This record gives sequence, structure tokens and C-alpha cells, in this order.
Amino acid sequence: MAERFNEVVLPHLGDALALARWLTGNAADAEDVVQDACIKAHAGISGYAGGNSRAWLLTIVRNTSYTWMSRNRPLSIMAVGDLGDLDDMAAAHGTSLPDENGPEASLIAKADTAALEAAIAALPQPFRETLVLRDINGLSYREISAMLGVAMGTVMSRLARARNLLMSELGSAP
Amino acid sequence: MSDDGLPNDAEGIKLMIHALIDGELDAAAALALERRIAADPRLAAEHARIVALRAAVTRLPRPDVSDAFRARIAALGVTATAQPTQEEPVRDELVEPRRDIPSARPDQISQLRGTARQEAQTRPSQTRALPRARRFGSFDWRAMAASIMISAVLASGATQWVMFNSASDGFAAAVASGHRRSLLAASPIDIVSSDRHTVKPWLDARIGVSPPAPDLAQDGYALIGGRVEVIADRPVPALVYRHREHLITLVAEPQQGGSTTAPEDLSSGGFSMVHWSDGAFSYWAISDMERPELDDFVARFRKAAV
Repeated sequence: MAERFNEVVLPHLGDALALARWLTGNAADAEDVVQDACIKAHAGISGYAGGNSRAWLLTIVRNTSYTWMSRNRPLSIMAVGDLGDLDDMAAAHGTSLPDENGPEASLIAKADTAALEAAIAALPQPFRETLVLRDINGLSYREISAMLGVAMGTVMSRLARARNLLMSELGSAP
Repeated sequence: MSDDGLPNDAEGIKLMIHALIDGELDAAAALALERRIAADPRLAAEHARIVALRAAVTRLPRPDVSDAFRARIAALGVTATAQPTQEEPVRDELVEPRRDIPSARPDQISQLRGTARQEAQTRPSQTRALPRARRFGSFDWRAMAASIMISAVLASGATQWVMFNSASDGFAAAVASGHRRSLLAASPIDIVSSDRHTVKPWLDARIGVSPPAPDLAQDGYALIGGRVEVIADRPVPALVYRHREHLITLVAEPQQGGSTTAPEDLSSGGFSMVHWSDGAFSYWAISDMERPELDDFVARFRKAAV
């Protein structure tokens, strides 16, 4: 059982820390969250039935992050607002934003790390977590859909919306 | 206008570009989309922007896993942890901060409960026996999915395809949408197996329910796998059968004390769909096959599932 835990959990600590860092907002809290999550993963290791072990661990990390946040930072959770509104908003705006002439790709490519990190941190939480799960943790649309309990189309539109927000943010920087 | 099977609205095509960059399209759709991008400077610019953004995000420094931290976590694996104090946070875990995302992780629920250990004893071999190979199998899924997709899919945008007008048919629309999406994805199934003894435990472990999954290969309908659909915010099991070059998605919604209903035709929008219930599950079979063929499948499935 210890061996199995090592096989399933240890290879994904980097991903786990990255997800927790983006969900909680800082690296120090991320270690606490991931440690909590690993305790739960250890307790539940027998329920891991094969498949993508990274997605399995990250699901636990995500839940642990929100539990941790609601305990330690109830205000930031409340500030997220109603998720349904966000999706409506995304649908109403479409995925396009100011559009037609988005920023040049070269401008985005040149964006510095701090600006990009700040832009990601400023994303509304549902968009941020979708972006992080896809672009930082490398999960597939279907894995994200199962993890978040939303339809695949919602994953696609949140991801497109998150990227559009980042692109216009980076593109408008001086 | 174009007849390459891709959406013609700007929103739909943009979502497709994201999907292309994320490697979520099969070869044929990717090829068709790449042609469109090559022909349209605005799409090319959008593609370049998204690629640049992805590259920038990927380059972000990742948190270090310090040796001390890794050692601390590895130590968890060695020390037995079943302290009773853990019960509390574990239960907490299941209470989502927002109620409108119902938990889609019953697998986790069962694994986090105290019964987890017990289960491990009662089904000792299962966890190991399940195949790991899921996506990107080498067999010709993509070509098959693509051929179906080209003929039937994507007339009206990648995500907002409403097959039925009536609001009460939302579930049917979601089933249809899931089927359609599956044809778009790199692989229409999450677990590839013709063995129902693999598919059923896989579904069971994921979402705690698994419908009858008879293999009807002798009748010409081969069970090729399963997946989990999220419909109306709930995970439901779906089986995938193949008949010649056609795929059939069979969604089985668990029923509580439901009644038995005879097959009912819900076909629309180029897909055949049949719905029936057997008391334990409410079934939705959808395919791009002709109705009589789908009826034949339904009849054989019902016979075998009894």
C-alpha cells in the first residue's frame, strides 16, 4: 500500500503544488494544502481504480484547496460570485471580447512572467481553475469536465474565455 | 460557407481552434480546420495568439518540490495514518463551497469513506486489473470518429447544439450533445475494452453505478468501451457500441423505483435516438444509424440485458 501511494502520488507533487498555488494564490499555502490532500489521498488510495493518477490526485487537491480556503479565507470565496452568472456572461460576450483585432501574437509572446502571473491571478476563479488544469496541469477537456462536474462545452467556453481575458490583458500592457 | 463539417459561426470556429491547439481534435477535423486557418488571416492571427499564450503559460516557473517536502509526503506512505481525527476533514471535503457544482466524484466519496479499506479487501484484484491505456490508443478510432463526424456533425457550432425544441427534452438534448462531442474528441471512450468485466467495474469505481453491459458482438454490435457523461450536473454511465462504422452511445440513467416504458422514438437532427426504461435504468440510445438498425440494436440489448 505504501508502494502504491508512492507510485500514484509522488510523481505528481509538482502538479499538485502548481494547482494549489493557483487556487490559493500563494506557494506557502500550497504546501499546506497539498500535504492535507496527500493525507486524504493516502487514506483513500484503495479507491483509486487505475486511470490517470494525476487527475485523481488533482481532484483531491482541488477539493482540499476549497475546503482550506473556506476555512482560512471565507471572504475570498464569497467574492467569487455566482457561477451561473459567470457562464451567462461568458455566453453573452461570446468568446470573442474586443476582438477582430486582438493583440499581436508577438506581443503576447514577449509578456513578462510577472505580468502573466498577475493576469492569471486576476481571472475569475472558474476561468482560472479551468486554465490551470488545462495549460499548467495538462489535463484533457474530458478530465476537466469530470473533475469540475460541468459539461464539456462549458469547459471549452471557460477555457476560451480565460485565454481571451489573458490575451487582451497582456496585449493592452504598454 | 464551406462543407468541411466545421462550424460556420465565429464562436464555434474559435472554440475549435482552442481544441485544435489542445490536441482535442481528431486528424480529419484538425486537417479541415488547418485548411480554414490557412485561408483566413484573422483565424491565423487568433491561432498564433493562442499558441503564443499557451507557450507563455507553459514557460511560467513551476513551484519547486523541495526534497524536504517530498520526504514529508513520502513519509505519509510509510506511517499508517488511520487516525480517527481524519474523519472530520474528510467529510468536510464533500461539502462544496458552492452548491451549484454538485460533486461529480462519487469515486472519491467512496474512497474517502471509512469503508475504503474494507472494499480493498473485498475486491482485491480490481484496482490492478484495470487497464491504464485509455486515450490515444493506436487503433483507428480517429479515422472512424472522423468519418462519422464529417458526415453528420457540426452544422451549427461546437457547443450549442440543441437537438430538441421542447425544454422537457433537455436530458435527451444533453445525451445527444454528449454523443456528438464524443465523436469530436480524440477518443469517444474513456475506457477502451470489449470486455464487459472490465467496463462494468471501471464505471462502478468511477461513479458507483454500472448498467448491464452485454456484449452483442455476435449480433453485430460490439461493446467497445464506456465513458462517464455529465448530464444535468450529474455523472451518468455511458456505454459505447460499434456497428460496422457507426458508433452507438447508450446512456443509462439510474432510476429509483422507476416504471418500465417501451422504446420511444426521439430521433431528430440527423441522429436516431430511442429511449426506454426497464425500472432500474432509463436508457437513451443514440447513433447516426438508420432507425430500423437502431431499433434492432435496442431489441437485442433489451433481450440480452434481462
